[in-house]
Formats: sequence, C-alpha cells, structure tokens
Amino acid sequence: MEMTLLIGLDAASYILTLLLVCIGLVIIFGMMNVINLAHGEFFLLGAYTVVLLQQYALPFAVILFIAFVFVALIGLIIEEIVIRRIYHRFLDTILATWGISLALKQLVIVLFGPGSQQTMAPFAEPIVMFGITYSSYRLFVMSMAIVITATTFLILFRTRWGLTARGVIANRQMASCLGVNTRRIDRVTFAFGSGLAGLAGAIMAPLMSVDPQMGVGFLVPAFLSILVGGIASPLGAIWGASIIGGSNSVVAAIWTPVIAQIVVFSLAIVVIRLMPDGFAGRKKR
Amino acid sequence: MLSVRNLKAGYIRGAPVLKGLDLDLACGDCVALMGRNGMGKTTFVKALMGVLPEISGSIGFLDQEIVGLAPYQISNAGIAYVPQGREIFPDFTVEQNLTMGRIGKPKQQNESFEFIYEYFPILAERHKQLGGTMSGGQQQQLAIARALVGRPDLLLLDEPSEGIQPSIVQELATILRRIVEQEKMTVIVVEQNLNLVRRLAHHVRFIENGLIKSGVAVDEINKNPAIISRYLSV
Amino acid sequence: MKSKYSRLFTILFWAALAAAPLFLGDWNLGLLSQLMIYGVFAMSLAFIWGQGGLLCFGQSLFFGIGAYAMALTTKGMIPGVPAITLAGLVLAIILPSLVAGILGLALFKGRGLYGAYFGIVTLSAAVIAERLAINWSYIGGFNGILDVPPLRLEWNSWHIEFYDPLLFFLVVLVAAFSAFLVLLKLERSAFGTVLRGIRDNETRAAFLGFETAEYKAVAFAISGAIAGLAGALFAVQFAFVSPAILGFALATEVLIWVAIGGKTVLLAAFIGALAVKSVENVLSDTLGQYWLLALGLLFVTAVVVLPRGLLAPFLNLPLPPALRQSKPLKKPTTT
Repeated sequence: MEMTLLIGLDAASYILTLLLVCIGLVIIFGMMNVINLAHGEFFLLGAYTVVLLQQYALPFAVILFIAFVFVALIGLIIEEIVIRRIYHRFLDTILATWGISLALKQLVIVLFGPGSQQTMAPFAEPIVMFGITYSSYRLFVMSMAIVITATTFLILFRTRWGLTARGVIANRQMASCLGVNTRRIDRVTFAFGSGLAGLAGAIMAPLMSVDPQMGVGFLVPAFLSILVGGIASPLGAIWGASIIGGSNSVVAAIWTPVIAQIVVFSLAIVVIRLMPDGFAGRKKR
Repeated sequence: MLSVRNLKAGYIRGAPVLKGLDLDLACGDCVALMGRNGMGKTTFVKALMGVLPEISGSIGFLDQEIVGLAPYQISNAGIAYVPQGREIFPDFTVEQNLTMGRIGKPKQQNESFEFIYEYFPILAERHKQLGGTMSGGQQQQLAIARALVGRPDLLLLDEPSEGIQPSIVQELATILRRIVEQEKMTVIVVEQNLNLVRRLAHHVRFIENGLIKSGVAVDEINKNPAIISRYLSV
Repeated sequence: MKSKYSRLFTILFWAALAAAPLFLGDWNLGLLSQLMIYGVFAMSLAFIWGQGGLLCFGQSLFFGIGAYAMALTTKGMIPGVPAITLAGLVLAIILPSLVAGILGLALFKGRGLYGAYFGIVTLSAAVIAERLAINWSYIGGFNGILDVPPLRLEWNSWHIEFYDPLLFFLVVLVAAFSAFLVLLKLERSAFGTVLRGIRDNETRAAFLGFETAEYKAVAFAISGAIAGLAGALFAVQFAFVSPAILGFALATEVLIWVAIGGKTVLLAAFIGALAVKSVENVLSDTLGQYWLLALGLLFVTAVVVLPRGLLAPFLNLPLPPALRQSKPLKKPTTT
C-alpha cells in the first residue's frame, strides 16, 4: 500500500514538474508557432538566478519573482533581436533558438564554470502522511506547478490580455485591423513564456544539481509532451505531461528509469505519428 | 475627410493592382464602390486598412497621412473594416468578438455595448453564443457591430451581402442606413448587390482596372439602369 | 545570385584537396581526412534538408549506426558476417539507409509529419538510440567499442592495410568525391527536381501525381546511406566508436556546419564542416569557452540574416540545361 502511494506520489511529482516546464513551452509554441529550443536554457537561467541570489539571503519568494522577471526580460530581448525577424520562417525559428540555446549555455559556462552548483531549499523537513515520509519541498514544487498552471489559464481565459492574445493567434490580420498592436502582443507573449521557463528553473533548482546541462534533460520529454498533448491549446500541456510523465514513472517503477525513457519516448513518437493533433484536439488551420 | 491621391498598391512588387487611384470623400458621405471582379475593389479597402505589402501614393484621413502606418494605427485613427467573409472569431462568444473590436482602443474601453445591441437586438439575445455557430446573416451583423464598437469615423464594408439570403440583405441594409444616419458615419461599401446599394449609398463610384472611372448619384442609377450594365456586365 | 565562378571554384577546390598530400605532412593529412569525413556527413544532411526541405535533427543516428556497423563487423562481432572491411562498409551504408527509409515511410505515409514535428521526432529518435547504445553491453555500453581495425583489402594471399595516413587520406578523398558526385547527380536529375518541388510546395507536387511520401523516404534513405559511409570512415580513423556519436551533440553540430555553409549547395555544406571544424581546432585553444559562444552567435546570425548560408552563393552550380527555367515564374495576382 505504502509502496503504491509512494509510486503515485513520485509519478505526480514528475508529471507536475514536467507540466511546470511545458506550460511556458506550449504558450510559445502553440500561441506563436515558434519552436523554442532555448526553453531549456531559459530554465537554466532561472536556476542560476537562484544560485546567484541565495548569497544575499533574500526571501525565496522574492528570488522566484526576480527569476521570472529576469528571464522574461531575456526573452523580450531575444524576441526583439532575433525571433521577430523569422516568425514567417517556421523551420528557421528552430535553428535560431537552437543557436541561442547554445550561446546561452556557453555564456553560463563562461560566467559560472562548467561544474555544478548547489542551492538550498528554503525548507526541507520531510512530511509524514498516510504512513509515508515525503520531502516537503517536493510537495511545494508540486503545488507550485498547479498554482502556476491555474494562473496561466486564468490569465489566458479570464483577462483582457488573454483574450487579445488568443484573438491575435486566431486571426492576426483581423486583430490588427481592429486596433490591436500585434507586435506588442508577440513581445509580451514570448516574454511571458520565457519567464515561466525561468520560474520553473528557479523552483526546481533546489531539487537538482544546477549545472549548464540541466536544461537539456528536460527538452526532449517536454517537447514530446506538448506534441502528444497537442499544441492547439494550453490544455495539451496538461494532457501531455500526464501521459508522458505518468507512463514514465510507472515503467520506471517496474523496470529501470533508462528503459522507461526508451520505451516512453518511442511510444510517444508512435502517438505523435498517429495523432498529429495530440490528445487535446485538432488545431484549426 | 478622406483624400486618396495617386494610390498604387498590390500584393507583389512591380505588379500593382491599383494604378494611381484618386478619391475624395466628405464627412457623412456614403459611397458604394462597384466594378467587375478583379478590378481592385477589395484591394482598395485593404490598402486603406494598411494590410497590403506594396503601397505608394498618399491617403489623407482627417488631416493625417496614413500610408505606411500599421493596420492597428489606422484602426485607431478611426477607420473600421468589415472584411469580405466577415472574419469573426469563431471560437469567441458574441460578447468576446465585440470586445475584440475595442480592446486596442483606450477611449472606448469602458463603454457598454448597449448602443450596438439596439441596432442588432439578435446579438444581445445571443451574447453568450460562439460566433462560429451563428448563421451567415448573424455573423455579418456581428462583424459590423464589432467594427462599430470602436466608434470609427469611416466604415469600410467589403461585400456585406455575400452569402446572405435576400430577405436578410434588405434587413441588413435598413439597419446600416439607420446606423449611418444616427452615428453620422462616412461609409465606403464594396458591393455587387444593387438592392443593398440603393438602400444604403448616396453615390456610386465605378472602379475599373485599378482606377476610379466615374461616379453617379444613386438616384440616377434608379432612373437609368443602363449605367450599371455598362460597368458591370462582362 | 549565381556566381559565374562557382564551377571554377568547385573544380579548384577538389583539385586542391587532391594535391594536399604534396604539401601536408602525415599529421595534417590525418586531420584533413577527419575534416573530410565530417564534410561527407554534412553533405548527407544538406541533401535531405536543402533539397528535400526535411530538417532532420537526428542525422547523427545514421552516422552512428554506420560507425557501429563498421566497428562491429570488422571486429567480428556480428554473427554470420565475415570480419572484413568490405562487409563492414556495405553494412555501414545499407543499415542506416534501411533505418532511414523505414523511418521515413513510417513518418511520411498518409497524413504524414512535417516541419517541426519531423525535427523533434528525429531528435528524439537520436536520443533514444544514444540511450539504447549506452545500455547495451554487447556493443560496449557507455564505453563504446575500442580498437576498431584499420581498413584492409585482401585478395587471396595478398592484402593491404591502410595504416599509412596518406593511403587513408586517399580513401577518404575518393569516398568524399564519390559521395559528392552521386548526390550532385541526384540533385541534377529528375528525381532532384521532384524533390525540390515537394520542398517548395508538397500539396502541389502531390496534385501533380507524385507520391511525395515515397520520394521523401527514398531521399531520406540516400541521405542515411551517405551519413553511414561517413560514420564508417570515422570509426576506422579514430579506431573507436562511442554512444555519443549517435546522439544530440553531433546531430546539432552538423546542423551548424550545414547552416553556416549553406544547405542548398553540397559543396558549401562540405566546406562549412571543414571550415567550422578547422577554425574550432585553431581557436578553441585560444578562445577556450568563448569559442562555442561565438559559434552559437554566428549560427544564429547565419540563420536570421543569411538563410542560404555563407558559402552557397559562391558555389551554386547552374542546373543542367534541360532543367533550367527560361524565366522565373510569377505567382498569379488576385484581388
């Protein structure tokens, strides 16, 4: 019984972590049609923000906020310098963001060195519930993932800005003819998605060894998640993270984590092939 | 209020559809643009809206030069556009569609939609319905209403009667007439449907090969239908 | 912007490569062989990406399969296959080609994958292969396979081993030039024309009656074969293969070479690989960590500002007369 519960909690933890990473990705991919391969490095920058700011004994919430704003600003700059020139060249966005990812990662190596850095969780007491002990910080990460996803949905579906952004995605030219400054929406959307990646990195930092390669590990599962889930709606991120994260955890519990990755990635490719629109439904073209 | 001079515009460099077009409108004018297919009617309204990749010449609107401005700037200068095919947001409710019409306009931000609902009661009734699930005529009303919530000075209508059954066209023409009179709006309507043109416009201008050829008052067309056949028959 | 001199440049370049042994010592000759192997790899990607419009993010998969096939065969580790160079080479070309062809058919048939989806799926495939290789102890696991024997030709009792850098250089040169000629010939054939048609507008090509999925799969298989050849030569040159050559790092490195050189021109991609790799050899010592930073920025700049690549404009060979259009077609205008 406790074993099942523990596996369930681990699965939930992995799913929610993946969701945390995916939510920014699906915003930039699904809403702006930009494959952002630099997402992993935005995540990385968020984690290094924690490394840098923990020396100053700032409250953790403040650090998280700064990480979000800082990475959002980086996103804003990158959108302005690079991305806006290639919106109409879809494949080139993959390449350009890949180059950005390489440069950002290398910049981190230049600044912090290739080694791994340690960050402290603001709290770490294990919690005992239902007869099992579980890391309280892990539970915090899980609840943050839920809060951030819910907030993102509220912003997208309950605010004026969200309506405008969805309008621009549905019909860019018409939105523009109605008086919407689509460039501004592009900028803000990209910055918001980037900021979410940074926030995810900052939240995850205490659980991981913070090193320049930490972003890459999430890249493939995150992309497979949003493709399996479907990019037409942010709901796809929830679907995808649940499917990829859940099956990965279960298979890992039965065999080994490596087999789990190989099996789940392969199955994900099959699913993407058979259902290109993903589980959340088809994208209108 | 609108003065177009030597307007050349098109989709590909070196192949302008509009070839040096001139047009003047006074406040409160309601002009129908007629002409055969491929003569540049739609291109002209798109040029006014600033969505064409190739454009040169001059468009003065309310003492402002709008050639080279982005569509959203032109919209905020006071021109509203009801495109051919309506292009409402099918996944948005009626209310959200209307909101999109004023979302980029700080001045209209907190106005209610009541004045719109008076002209289009059906929209009030269905304000929670998804735009995409409505009939063609209702969608057209929605597209016009969406243009009006921004309180434009100049309204561009591109084929408002397209794909709508005749009885509804008459109703639409009557509503439009009322709006034009009560809101004191200037209107350019691209239209093939004479019924609607007769009810709505004061003048008719004919467009041929990217140029405006001549104009007549609507009354003259009523008296002498031969004018129409000269420009419209193939 | 077709350079008048592109034909001349092309001939001069190959002539210069052929003359290299006259000027270079053994060490540099070995280095040049190595660069040319990367060049062949780059051409395989340029063919599928530049001509077919398929942005393959996992090209290393085929390079790696070729390398492993060569290593396993010549070390006698594949049951039933003689441990000779020739068998290794054949397998190293056929296996990755088969994998690419089958993968291509599976991905493209019916309502196929395209664009970004294809990129992400091929990237994932390469990552999966890398993981698999790391955990498969028979093929060496994480450590890979050491002591891959050199090329060896035998005829009855006579045999020759290509230990000598000069001999190996010549083999690589012949391989590279043949790969260049084969791909160039394909590009300039009717097949290449259809491929470019699919690249530019797949729906239109399909309406014209072409089985676009099959064309793409065949092109992918050809590209896989050339990548496998490069992998086989790589295994021999380094006498060593490891899971890393299947995966992410190499897959993206080759994209950079090709993007910087120019994806639509084979020789541009080839020289792109040579140039980036040799600059890296020279500069990575002096610039240290800044080298990759500079490369990343250069890459982004090339993608954004020069999508055709830095070298392609100078090396773009004119099409054979039969395939030339008298005038560029204009799109019809509409109102």
